[in-house]
Amino acid sequence: MKPKLSRFAVPYVGWLALFVVAPIVLVVVYAFSNDAGGFTLDNFARMGAYAVVFGRSFKLALIATAVCLLIGYPVSYMMSREGPRFQRVAMVLIMLPMWVNFLLRTYSWMSILENNGLLNQLFQRLGVLALYNRLTGAELDFFPLMNTQGAVVLGMVYNYLPFMILPIYSVIVKLDISLLEAARDLGADGLNVFRRVILPLSLPGVLSGITMVFVPSVSTFAISKMLGGGTELLLGDLIEQQFLGGAYNPQLGAAISLVMMLIVVVCMWVMNRFGEGEEQAVML
Amino acid sequence: MRRGTNSLFSRVFTALVFLFLYAPILLLIVFSFNAGNSNIVWSGFSLNWYRELFRDRLIMQSVYTTLLVSLLATAIATAAGTFAAIGFYSLRRRQRALLNTVNNIPMMNADIVTGVAMCLFFVAFFTFWSDFAAWFNGIQGAVTLPTRLTLGFGTLLLAHVTFNIPYVILSVGPKLRQMDKNLVDAAQDLGCTWMQAFWKVILPEIKPGIVSGALTAFTMSVDDFIISYFTAGSSASTLAMTIYGMTKKRVTPKINAISTLLFVIVLLLLVAVNVREALLERRGAEGPRRSPGPVARALDTPRGRVLRRCAAGGLAACFLAAVVLLTGATNAQPVVNVCSWGEYIDEDLITQFEEETGIIVNYQTAESNEALYSLLKSGAGDYDVIVPSDYMISQLIEEDMLAELDFGNIPNYSLISQRFKGLSYDPEERYSVPYAWGTVGIIYNTSMVEEPITSWSAMFDSRYAGEVLMFRNSRDAMGIALSYLGYSLNTTDGTELREAFQLLQDAKNRGVYQSFVMDEIFQKLEGGNAAIGAYYAGDYLTMRENNEDLAFVVPEEGSNWFMDAMCVLKGAPHKEEAEAWINFIASTEANLKNMDYLWYGSPNQEALEQYPAYYEELYGEALDPEDYAIIAAPPEVLEKCEVYLVLPMEIRKLYNDLWTELGI
Amino acid sequence: MSKELIRLRDLCMAYDGELVLDHLNLYINDKEFLTLLGPSGCGKTTTLRSIGGFASPSSGDVLFDGVRINDVPPYRRQINTVFQKYALFPHLNVYENIAFGLRMQRRADPGDPSGRRKTRLPEGEIRERVMEMLEAVSLKGFENRRTDALSGGQQQRVAIARALVNRPKVLLLDEPLGALDLKLRKDMQIELKRIQQQVGITFIYVTHDQEEALTMSDTIVVMDKGTIQQIGTPEDIYNEPKNAFVADFIGESNIIDGVMVRDNLVQMYGRQFPCLDGGFSENEAVDVVIRPEDIDIVPVEQGQLTGTVTNVTFKGMQYDIIVDFRGFKWLIQTTDHSPVGARIGIKIDPDGIHVMKKSRYSGMYGDYSSFSDEYDELDVAEPEEGGDET
Repeated sequence: MKPKLSRFAVPYVGWLALFVVAPIVLVVVYAFSNDAGGFTLDNFARMGAYAVVFGRSFKLALIATAVCLLIGYPVSYMMSREGPRFQRVAMVLIMLPMWVNFLLRTYSWMSILENNGLLNQLFQRLGVLALYNRLTGAELDFFPLMNTQGAVVLGMVYNYLPFMILPIYSVIVKLDISLLEAARDLGADGLNVFRRVILPLSLPGVLSGITMVFVPSVSTFAISKMLGGGTELLLGDLIEQQFLGGAYNPQLGAAISLVMMLIVVVCMWVMNRFGEGEEQAVML
Repeated sequence: MRRGTNSLFSRVFTALVFLFLYAPILLLIVFSFNAGNSNIVWSGFSLNWYRELFRDRLIMQSVYTTLLVSLLATAIATAAGTFAAIGFYSLRRRQRALLNTVNNIPMMNADIVTGVAMCLFFVAFFTFWSDFAAWFNGIQGAVTLPTRLTLGFGTLLLAHVTFNIPYVILSVGPKLRQMDKNLVDAAQDLGCTWMQAFWKVILPEIKPGIVSGALTAFTMSVDDFIISYFTAGSSASTLAMTIYGMTKKRVTPKINAISTLLFVIVLLLLVAVNVREALLERRGAEGPRRSPGPVARALDTPRGRVLRRCAAGGLAACFLAAVVLLTGATNAQPVVNVCSWGEYIDEDLITQFEEETGIIVNYQTAESNEALYSLLKSGAGDYDVIVPSDYMISQLIEEDMLAELDFGNIPNYSLISQRFKGLSYDPEERYSVPYAWGTVGIIYNTSMVEEPITSWSAMFDSRYAGEVLMFRNSRDAMGIALSYLGYSLNTTDGTELREAFQLLQDAKNRGVYQSFVMDEIFQKLEGGNAAIGAYYAGDYLTMRENNEDLAFVVPEEGSNWFMDAMCVLKGAPHKEEAEAWINFIASTEANLKNMDYLWYGSPNQEALEQYPAYYEELYGEALDPEDYAIIAAPPEVLEKCEVYLVLPMEIRKLYNDLWTELGI
Repeated sequence: MSKELIRLRDLCMAYDGELVLDHLNLYINDKEFLTLLGPSGCGKTTTLRSIGGFASPSSGDVLFDGVRINDVPPYRRQINTVFQKYALFPHLNVYENIAFGLRMQRRADPGDPSGRRKTRLPEGEIRERVMEMLEAVSLKGFENRRTDALSGGQQQRVAIARALVNRPKVLLLDEPLGALDLKLRKDMQIELKRIQQQVGITFIYVTHDQEEALTMSDTIVVMDKGTIQQIGTPEDIYNEPKNAFVADFIGESNIIDGVMVRDNLVQMYGRQFPCLDGGFSENEAVDVVIRPEDIDIVPVEQGQLTGTVTNVTFKGMQYDIIVDFRGFKWLIQTTDHSPVGARIGIKIDPDGIHVMKKSRYSGMYGDYSSFSDEYDELDVAEPEEGGDET
């Protein structure tokens, strides 16, 4: 007889309860308590003051997600249409940047985007800047690239693009060729095969990619600090400030975290509604 | 999918995306070979940074911690995740769906929430534990439980394991579901016990899933910053955390070097693995499969099995022991946990202290006084020695968080200049030993402004719109506005504060500020990316080394002068070691070294006087008296300046609210 | 053929409260080729799995050589299995797959007089036995192939070799030919029978294909809904089905409501037909089975019944003709061609008529007015019985 295999899950269920569920319960408890430990809804009442931050975070994260999708989908699609060797190399190439710490990669963008950075130097050397000044009558010494919302979005796109490409790719590459042939057989041209067969079938990957990009984007703090110049506070900054930053207020931080967590739950719910939600996020 | 049917256009597009992904990395790699320390200006090829790298304890230590925690976490998570995946797989659908949802939480949840939640959890647990241990030790005498647990390597490891397991389950699960259910039956049918079937059939079948899960987990572990940041506490620092500490100032090219090394190693490994796979694939259908090697066969005898079981048990025991050791028993060797500011010490001093005393120094950094305060409050920081500034010291004293020092252990305290003893933050000289002092002023790029700057007005001047860098901390930013308006830095008058706030907000709305910065100011001013910034005098001299055009002024309206002093936290586990450290740092020799490294004023009377001579001896040229005046502001400058005092609670709240309002 | 080897006593098996096996009693003789036959979900695979040790019965006993083996794990049973879709280990090549069981075997060390020390089989013996087996299943030269590089039939033979190399007393085969195409299936049927006779051990074979069962078996056990419907030789089962289910499942049958007038006389459609059956009470309602090939087409005036041809299908050796008798459609297999729409008469010899007692299956089968269920069922693979394995 074989042992009850489901017993294997028991230790991990305990682990989950201890290190995943309990901490989250603690966050909830904090969110509803005041300094003295009593119950309060104040933390949520104060949330109104941060509506702008919520709005900004969501706006930037949505833009970043959309850009990731616009770039990531075609790349995944093209990768899946190349030979197996190319695919393998491409997968490695997409994973590889993660081995350079993301702070460092973001830092590297700083030296590219700075007013005196490489990109502006390049523009100066190539005469793009002079051309632009002549055309528009402006008198720019450089293009202001750093410390803008654009730079923050770029940072998000750069850091999270692999999270969009990998799930989409892993879904597309598994599509059954005969399905595409069937579609062609039934009279669909290339565009229609894509629109009516490939796209709907790759939707689970797309959804999981969207979640995997959106969630970290909406909650990032280092990127906004480094590329946004600290003038554009994002949700992540706000939370970090409450816990480890200048304004120590873990209760408020927990409340903001809780609200953000709810967003994640909604995202997952949406994702699970569209797909089976288990295999989609498979990476590598 | 049809293969190889992409148009040229789409291939170019893909290539561009890869260029986008790799441009910053290439840049990093290229500048790791730069002779200079800039990430923008190329000043010739050199391997200097690689040499320097191996001498940098902080970096090497964090690389070691990172690799250790990643490897351990990956190993544990891979084993646990594989078993959990098998368990999940054999659960009924509904239970499985529920567990999968919970399992997805650490993966889908924002890292910062996970980090914060775990931090809260650990701290809550430690509080509970110390009560429990005290009670337990009270009722019996046989076993003495440690009452004090702290964030550290153990919690870091737990956190990493927790967020790694889901990735393993995610990649093992599908492999299990793809596996022919009858394989296990078949193996048992052919004489395997269940365990043998597991080793001989299930494991080889799901191996690709396990490997890719482990790889993902390892990658995530190495790349993680946020969760580590919240769970590592003071005694462990991962590479990411070290880098984060540096990105605020200037990332030393040593970091480029270590990243390049890691990158190249991983690249080579992946290439090797892929080449091997490709070769195996090419050999294809006829490829002879190896029969089990002699070792495997030897291990399969009855005695071998006993051996194997012993080995597995031993390994597990070692593992546990290692975790326990790393978590709790670091006390075996005398240690002192120091938290200071970024690049605020000549690292040779750490080595020297360790050699002289045999005490290991865990040197950590915090971003600002406020961040330090949060670290202490949240329990994330567990330090012995901290180096807060004046006003924070009085706040910490007020909140009874500092320990009284035993000056009998700190004879060098007598070397501290009388001028810097008994200052307002610690009038009775009970809690602190001064570390360094300086003034706040304006650093500006002479080539980017029209006239020399003498007044704080430049910080609010529309002429310099987009060129000004303002402090990213409320006290300093508001302080500048208050100084400009002629009010006291320590005012508790709400209308004055409102006025100062209006000034800042107005300037912000006019676009005067390019960004709000702390140590990032180094990079920005040195690179000529901003014209004007307010910062500390000593840091100006550091910046000037990289940009000759910079100038410094303490504005005519007056400014803040600050004193950072070493304090010991109440209940610090290594108080004696902490006092030894403080005494060592207070010595004239250490002060000279630090003064030369920091270019902040030393509180040590001898060091302050001897520094010009020390400088001349060291560099073979005389110290410019003007520079000396910047390092150690003469009394007439100090007279114009004010020290920050601790503000009453409601004013601190007002500061926070105003600051948040400004941030939005 | 006489010695009893395996006995199932009052075997019950329930999954999620649903009875999959319902008090099953069965004995299996040594060297017998026994087939468990039935539609999906009839419990045949579960029966096999409880013999193999992969499923433990809720109640009842599995006896092997008179010893209760309910709690003996599969790896201790002298029984091997050929699995559905073979379950070859993908990470091992052909040779290693076959050698797998041998590598697991331990036997008393000849060098140890106490006989307690166990030793593994020497590599030479393993090699010898594997090669011998490869030869037996005509796969010599394939030993280094990866299993996924083999054709279905080859994989099938590897699976059989892998099981037989262990010299089990019983070989269990769970729909082993299900994944093969028709031609190969026919070849393998003969091959399997040959192998069984050659090695001289008990084969217990599970299938839903009645033709396969008829071709190979010494004994057929027809099962449905967790109970045994009939046990017998292929001839018995075919010629003397016990109820409408068996009649319908084995071969093609016309099953008509009838009344037993008296012994050797049955009444259908108001007409009386002489038959060879007896032992019913007078005027008992019965099911009458008439095999399509036992019906002769005769001119209308000579026929015992007359009907209209509604459909004719050419089947190579014969025509399948559907004939409408007063709204009930019969299948007739004949070598004579009759055009659609023709009025024909039929004649049935007394030995072509088989009378059965009414059962719970009465009225469910035997009408050819639409495609019979069994046509649909043939392609449906047996679903996992009992859902999740735990």
